Amino acid sequence: MSAPVVEIADASFGYGGAPVLSGVSFEVRAGEAVALIGPNGAGKSTLLAGLLGLAQHEARVFRVPSARGEIGTLPQSSEIDPAFPVTLEQVVAMGRTPRLGLKWPGRADKRIVADAIEAVGLAEHRGARFGDLSGGQRQRGLLARALAGEPRLLLLDEPFNGLDHGSRDALLETVRRLKGQGVALLITTHDLDLARAVCDRTLLVNGRQIAFDETGCVLTLERVEAAFASHVIEIDGHTLATTEHHEAAHHHHHHVLRDDDAAAAPPR
Amino acid sequence: MTLDFFARALLEVTLAGALAGLVGVLVVLRERAFFTMSLTHATFPGAVAAAMLGVSIPLGAAVAAVALVAIAVGIGRIRSQGPAVASGIMLTAGFALGALLQSLGPLAIDVESFLIGQVLAVSGADIALTATLLAVAIVVWALAGPHLVFSSADEGGYRRAGLRPWIPETLALALIAATVVAIMPVVGAILGVALIVAPAAAARLVVRDWRAMLVVAPLIAIASGVLGLLASRWLELAAGGAIALVAAAFYGLAWIRAEAARRPRGTIETRTP
Repeated sequence: MSAPVVEIADASFGYGGAPVLSGVSFEVRAGEAVALIGPNGAGKSTLLAGLLGLAQHEARVFRVPSARGEIGTLPQSSEIDPAFPVTLEQVVAMGRTPRLGLKWPGRADKRIVADAIEAVGLAEHRGARFGDLSGGQRQRGLLARALAGEPRLLLLDEPFNGLDHGSRDALLETVRRLKGQGVALLITTHDLDLARAVCDRTLLVNGRQIAFDETGCVLTLERVEAAFASHVIEIDGHTLATTEHHEAAHHHHHHVLRDDDAAAAPPR
Repeated sequence: MTLDFFARALLEVTLAGALAGLVGVLVVLRERAFFTMSLTHATFPGAVAAAMLGVSIPLGAAVAAVALVAIAVGIGRIRSQGPAVASGIMLTAGFALGALLQSLGPLAIDVESFLIGQVLAVSGADIALTATLLAVAIVVWALAGPHLVFSSADEGGYRRAGLRPWIPETLALALIAATVVAIMPVVGAILGVALIVAPAAAARLVVRDWRAMLVVAPLIAIASGVLGLLASRWLELAAGGAIALVAAAFYGLAWIRAEAARRPRGTIETRTP
């Protein structure tokens, strides 16, 4: 079995006051994807911030990659002002910045950037202004930026939110390819089916750790209901965890969560 | 090197234009126009104090600028007080302090030359300072450009990448403050903001990426300086005011061009079947 890239034991995470998330013990191995699942406010983002050193942690064991550029991140949505004058290629090149420091990018760096753009299927848009791309394309551009850093660990925060079917399948394929390349992935998602599709193990949390095991063992209805306090619904045989947010944007396909009202409405 | 006063002024506006354009891109990308505005006012007491003490005026303004950048970074870090609050306080307090010092001064100080510049009276030292700072600005952009742009576009992403946003922020504020001081002889403290912000803002309207801005903004600023200077000679206007107005006019032209490019061709009737 490959070596763990992340190793956490008896950890709690927070921002100075009472811990937001406690009792956390898990690991992510090279070439493995771990799903991080829990309701809103469960502490998923705090855990990601803690791994990046942006939230405080107390732990018996705390091992994460620490060299610059070793952790890549994909935020839930782009924080770049659409009017900011940068091209897609320049945004993706930002992924090389931590590794380059003040050095100029060489031929190898430029090839890595081009490959990352190619990997997310945006090669023909490389010279486009970033703000002119669609929301889904921008999200893929940010994934390319994370890939350009050649990370050992990739943190994906709700990467499937708001994606259409094509983009979703492409992202699943990218996740599988990265696993093949030995990258460790930690993926927060509300979509339990997607977790089953690509994640080997699942970390289920809600203020504390509820379970960490093989995805199939963790995502039983009882455990998910315990985590989500019964906000679990089943549509067309797909088990979905619901939350109060994240509704409107996702009504175009039934895999992604809906809020309770939308789920109760008759299918169109 | 012996140049007549007009040739010296031409050299200074060219160097100052290139500097203001390069640093202006930083101001526009980081949305620091208001900070720059308040800095131009707040360096005023430093210049007045230097004149009263008989020391170099840029030195006095520079000391004030360093103190102000420290205050800005400090107030900006207080969560409930944004950078705009810090800038607003600096603007009024600095200007008030300058006016107070001037009224206390035993000598008659030519305040107007600090406020709107006196480019026809620039010294060799003024030119050397501007040229040195231009070289510094070029080196900063060449080495730290990707960091400046990354942290401006996506501060959260910059932090998540394990980098520290306060480093490019401090670098940017220091460069802006130094530029305000260096171009004081050309357009003065008050009008300096026009030469820094307007050309970069105009460039942003007509080009699509920041690398092109770094070429276009200095060209517009140099053109503003040279045209303003020539206009002041032919029409016998104050040079500082003429330069600032030409820079503002370039921004107006860029805005009209951008609006025209945005508007779809043809009327609604001809476009809809």
